[in-house]
Amino acid sequence: MQCNKCPMKLKCSDSPRQKKRGLLGFFRKKKETTTAESVKMTQIALVGMPNVGKSVLFNGLTGTYVTVSNYPGTTVEVSRGQTSIGELPVAVVDTPGMYSLLPITEEEKVARDLLLFQSFDVVIHVVDAKNLGRMLPLTFQLIEAGLPSILAINMMDEAQQLGIEINPEYLERELGIPVVTMAAAANFGVNELKARVAEYVSSNCLSRSY
Amino acid sequence: MMALSSLKTGKIDTVACLKTSDDAMIRKLMAMGVLPGVSITLEQRFPSYIVKVGRTRAAVDRETAKSIYVDGAAN
Amino acid sequence: MLAQIAYPEAIEKALAEIESLLSRENKLSLDNIYPISRRSLALLVLQKDPTLWERLEQNDKLLAEIEAAILIASEQLGEPVTAAIASSRQQLAWQMEQQVLREPSEAKTPLSETIHKLTVNPITGFPILVFILYFGVYKFVGEFGAGTLVDTIETFFEENINPVVNQIVATIIPWQPLQDLIANDYGIITLGIRYATAIVLPVVATYFLMFSFLEDSGYLPRLSLMLDRLFKSIGLSGRAVIPMVLGLGCDTMATLVTRTLETKRERLISTFLLALAVPCAAQWGVIVGLLAQKPAALLFWAGFITVVFIVVGYLTAQLLPGKKAGFYMEIPPLRLPKFKNILIKTYVRMKWYFFEIIPLFIWASVLIWFGRLTGLFEQIIGLLEPITLALGLPEQVAPIFLYGFFRRDYGAAGLFDLQQQLALSGNQLVVAAIVLTLFLPCIAQVQIMIKEQGLKTTLAMIAFIIPFAFFMGYLVNFSLTILGVSF
Repeated sequence: MQCNKCPMKLKCSDSPRQKKRGLLGFFRKKKETTTAESVKMTQIALVGMPNVGKSVLFNGLTGTYVTVSNYPGTTVEVSRGQTSIGELPVAVVDTPGMYSLLPITEEEKVARDLLLFQSFDVVIHVVDAKNLGRMLPLTFQLIEAGLPSILAINMMDEAQQLGIEINPEYLERELGIPVVTMAAAANFGVNELKARVAEYVSSNCLSRSY
Repeated sequence: MMALSSLKTGKIDTVACLKTSDDAMIRKLMAMGVLPGVSITLEQRFPSYIVKVGRTRAAVDRETAKSIYVDGAAN
Repeated sequence: MLAQIAYPEAIEKALAEIESLLSRENKLSLDNIYPISRRSLALLVLQKDPTLWERLEQNDKLLAEIEAAILIASEQLGEPVTAAIASSRQQLAWQMEQQVLREPSEAKTPLSETIHKLTVNPITGFPILVFILYFGVYKFVGEFGAGTLVDTIETFFEENINPVVNQIVATIIPWQPLQDLIANDYGIITLGIRYATAIVLPVVATYFLMFSFLEDSGYLPRLSLMLDRLFKSIGLSGRAVIPMVLGLGCDTMATLVTRTLETKRERLISTFLLALAVPCAAQWGVIVGLLAQKPAALLFWAGFITVVFIVVGYLTAQLLPGKKAGFYMEIPPLRLPKFKNILIKTYVRMKWYFFEIIPLFIWASVLIWFGRLTGLFEQIIGLLEPITLALGLPEQVAPIFLYGFFRRDYGAAGLFDLQQQLALSGNQLVVAAIVLTLFLPCIAQVQIMIKEQGLKTTLAMIAFIIPFAFFMGYLVNFSLTILGVSF
């Protein structure tokens, strides 16, 4: 995958937005996606398949409550919240579940189009540890798209109850992106995730300016 | 090779292929992990078909179940 | 480091072709416009992504060339390109999973597995469904929420708050019309706030509490698979079960949740049925409370609405063109819900609901006050009266239909209030309940309908629903009278 290119594409927190548009009518970026405040802050998106705990993580990160349930498709709209990682103010976006970058339902299209029309500093792909193999294809697609991704393996507590063990270091080497294990509902691993996000953002900004 | 809808419940078999002209249906099944080569168990067929692939459980209707073909080795 | 995913040769060729076609046609390179890579864009175009194709449709020549590339690729592969692409990714994913994940070979069956089997087995599953409906919905929300709680809070308001408010207002405000704005029969506090807190709040709170419990336990997807076949007959799939059940709480929220449905057709049918034949918690709660003394009337009302739901759904499905919805749903494991989470969720939903209705209830009070002050109110009611009388209802019911225009729950609360003052007969209650249930969705729901389905569709739905509701009321009253039935 063209991962070596990723840093080049990143929009760091203080970088000016690109204003270039296609000369021809098609493939034009929607205007309303960039608002004044979203330009300043570091932008993080939470994406992943339905019912993997994106909203629980969103609640944990931002302290704002969005509805969480035990069935796929609870989140139908994009929720936005804020948090800070160290000194860094961060805007977090929670998205409806999607199975792949190719949407099937309307709510999947909401999530996908967000990735297509807005640039993020970090895209956190949340997966269910119990179903890692089934969810990795979306990780591949994010990497393939050149999006600055972090893989968050969630529901580790439930996986452990089933006797499942996961080796995140190995996966990290295989994928070439940061991998974090966590159980967001038990508030385990959220701080590590924050630390990795901060690390990722600062290293990308450095490599961009030099 | 046979359609999943005629597999005995409780038997494990391997998915051979997905036979449908509906692109969206293929995508849905693949999203749930139903792909050629995986082991699949049919758990029940009424009121809906329930299949288990790995640690994922999914419910599908008859039309969808008919488009999944298995090796038929279990029978 | 993960090497680039190597797709089958036919796909790689098509990708290269599309990439060059796109960059040739679109002078600026694509990755300046989208934040995702060129290869990724080409993959989406190859799989006929609707958003991107919409943009390409302005260029027929380009489109034809891309179509040709896709055709060649799928012919070489012997399967759709989407399938081949997904297969390559999935195979790599499993290889990777095998390297990083270890699981025990033999796992014992947990209790949740046994319960799961019971909930989806038709022999035990349907009784469980009826059990949940009876105890969770009828007993807990209908009898406890809409009965006991409403009576207690309502009595408290009537005896302790309203007299005090009336008295205070009477002493500090000298002008009678202004007194009426805040207190007395139609005041903001004595009517608007009372409706919201004494009648609507207990019903909605108990329903959301129960719904949150079902949600967090993971029972709802199981309900979907149990009802899929039934829903197929009305042009929907089991997926539509969740918005419908949510609609029994609040139709506005439910209309938004229809987004999870797969086809436009399914979204349209379920939005329409939500507007027509799915009463919200406040409505059915109050109706159950009113008809609780007359079980036959209650059953007749419930049966009638169910028949309307199924028949209208069936006919709509016959008339509407388009692809039939398929059913697929992941079934998550059953979990014992955490009490704290249920409380938080119910609280958040209640808060949303109340910020939504309080201003409308206050506005309704103000409008009624203004209408009465100017005589406009009497005129509108005068217009509605012939309809009310044709339905065999006393003229006092007319204002309630007017309230219903503002909010579903406001109309229901009005009916509750009216029943306290003048005893309606069983037949009259049934007719009023049927008309109020079918009749117009509330303002908030109409707003969401316009947002999701567009103004034209929404207006068409409303144009059907209002006359239909009154006609059904007329028909029921007529039939009951002819047949000499009285509840």
